[in-house]
Amino acid sequence: MTTAWFNEESRLTPEELQTVTFPMSRLGRRGYEEEPVRGFLRVVHAEFVRLANERASLWQDVQRLRRRIIAGEAGSDPNAVLFGKEDAHIHAVRILSTAQVTADRYVADAQAYSSRVTEEARLRRDDIMREAQQHSDMLLEEAHARAREAAVSALNVSVPPQTDRERRAAQAELAYLRTYSDVYRAHLRAYTEGLLRGIEDWERKEAASLQEAASLQEAAQGHRDRRSIGH
Amino acid sequence: MPRSVNWRRRRKAGPLDVVRLRESFAHVAMHGDELPLFFYSDLFIRHPEVRELFPVSMAAQRGHLVDALVKIVSQVDSVNDLTAFLQGLGRDHRKFGAVAEHYDAVGASLLATLEHFSGPAWTPELAADWKAAYELIGSVMTAAAGADEQLRPPWWRGTVVAYERRAFDVSVLFVRPEPRMDYLPGQSVAIESPSRPKLWRYYSMANAPRSDGLLEFHIRLIDGGAVSMALTSSTIADTELRLGPPVGALTLSHPVSGRDLLLVAGSTGLAPLKAILDQVAALQQPPRVHLFFGARTADGLYDLDSLEKMAAQYPWLTITPAVSADSKFTGETGSLPDVVARHGDWSGHDAYLAGPTEMVQEVVARLTSAGMAQEQIHIEDFGWSEP
Repeated sequence: MTTAWFNEESRLTPEELQTVTFPMSRLGRRGYEEEPVRGFLRVVHAEFVRLANERASLWQDVQRLRRRIIAGEAGSDPNAVLFGKEDAHIHAVRILSTAQVTADRYVADAQAYSSRVTEEARLRRDDIMREAQQHSDMLLEEAHARAREAAVSALNVSVPPQTDRERRAAQAELAYLRTYSDVYRAHLRAYTEGLLRGIEDWERKEAASLQEAASLQEAAQGHRDRRSIGH
Repeated sequence: MPRSVNWRRRRKAGPLDVVRLRESFAHVAMHGDELPLFFYSDLFIRHPEVRELFPVSMAAQRGHLVDALVKIVSQVDSVNDLTAFLQGLGRDHRKFGAVAEHYDAVGASLLATLEHFSGPAWTPELAADWKAAYELIGSVMTAAAGADEQLRPPWWRGTVVAYERRAFDVSVLFVRPEPRMDYLPGQSVAIESPSRPKLWRYYSMANAPRSDGLLEFHIRLIDGGAVSMALTSSTIADTELRLGPPVGALTLSHPVSGRDLLLVAGSTGLAPLKAILDQVAALQQPPRVHLFFGARTADGLYDLDSLEKMAAQYPWLTITPAVSADSKFTGETGSLPDVVARHGDWSGHDAYLAGPTEMVQEVVARLTSAGMAQEQIHIEDFGWSEP
């Protein structure tokens, strides 16, 4: 039921500060760093508890003094209110309450500490595991590379020709390939040189034609008759 | 005027009483944590022997008390709901060692607390209202506890007969309860470890009731978790635990719906679903079952061996392990809700989900938006008896 019978409903309590959660921002990193926010909330919580306790203690003093006044007005001994049996019980309750709250805080601190230590150990473990995994991946990679190298060099040391005929055939093949590559190299050189000559020729002709154009322009300016230039 | 007052009759006679109680409670509730703090201190000074029923730290306990009071005061005019809540509360308090005499002591301290914080607003009429209200609450709770006494012990003694560490943060315990415990597969019990007196945490049995009566529990170490730390400690072997009565509604629908089953387990959420698997295996005509078992990393799939053995044995069972933060994993990778959604249309299945709350909620949302009806989805719900 959410009617207004409980008009203090909207008040913030220390427990709310401890249990409040915020939705994650949509892009993971755009919110506040979580730990400083939590840290601040812890401070706010402690302060809140202190204020609430102070307030309660003051309120109880007010109650006692009020009872003392009422007792005085009623003609009975006001000191019985402050130092009587009833008051002693209230005192005992307050002492026990303080002791309990202190014990609660010790337990909460110990629990928070244990939680932090366990969490750190867990993260550290994850790091160690990840590093070990990376290291083992690296070793594996290295071993693979070495094996590959060994395989390749083993292939390169080709099996020596078994017979003279085979050796001769191989040598003939080699000689043929060498000649072939020589010929092609000569062809390629000739072709490239031809190209270079063509480029040089082109550059020379371009320079000459630019010069010619410049001198013609000068001549045209002298005559002031552009139309006759071409003739 | 009779001493014990029928709530309904009183309301008819004067509905103002309820309003007065609420106003009075709203006034004292302003004092926040001071209210339960005073209450327990008053109770322990008057009855020191009651202190040992409670844990060292009372912070959570005070929260529970205020929550219960808020619930009672707000529901005071919907008697049926309130009665069910109070009956559950009464039964639940048996394992804490609460007996009928304690109710009088608690009533006296509650009245003293209300009087203390009401100040001048405390009148004989208000006192009578609160007294009558508490007597009603107490009588409903003690009656339910008394009825429960005829049915079962307040708690079971559970000896840890075997302990296996399956992952760096997951242990499996085999516990022999005395006397034998009957329960439905998928249910849970609250466990108290002797090294953490008066702290109870719920764990699901991971097997259907067996002929030797042994219970299997999967315990995950929670950072800073007082009880989980004690239960995953290697010194747990041969320890005598206390087990509360079995609770929980994550159980196979009865009669069997005829639909195939989708089971989604995140980490040790596997436990109740494995118990359900046990139950399905014993059926005459088992439905087809697809179990998704997810963890952050591959070593978090702490029970995959036994699941794969089951899958090899039962043709109706398919197991899909999934890992969310381990790209080297050769099976399914990604968040469990994604993996489940990738595997197609589940709308014709009955779904049973257990695991971290966020994961369960996400899977529920996906299944619902994919057209699965609410009554086909079963999740763990401890309701009022959340520890």
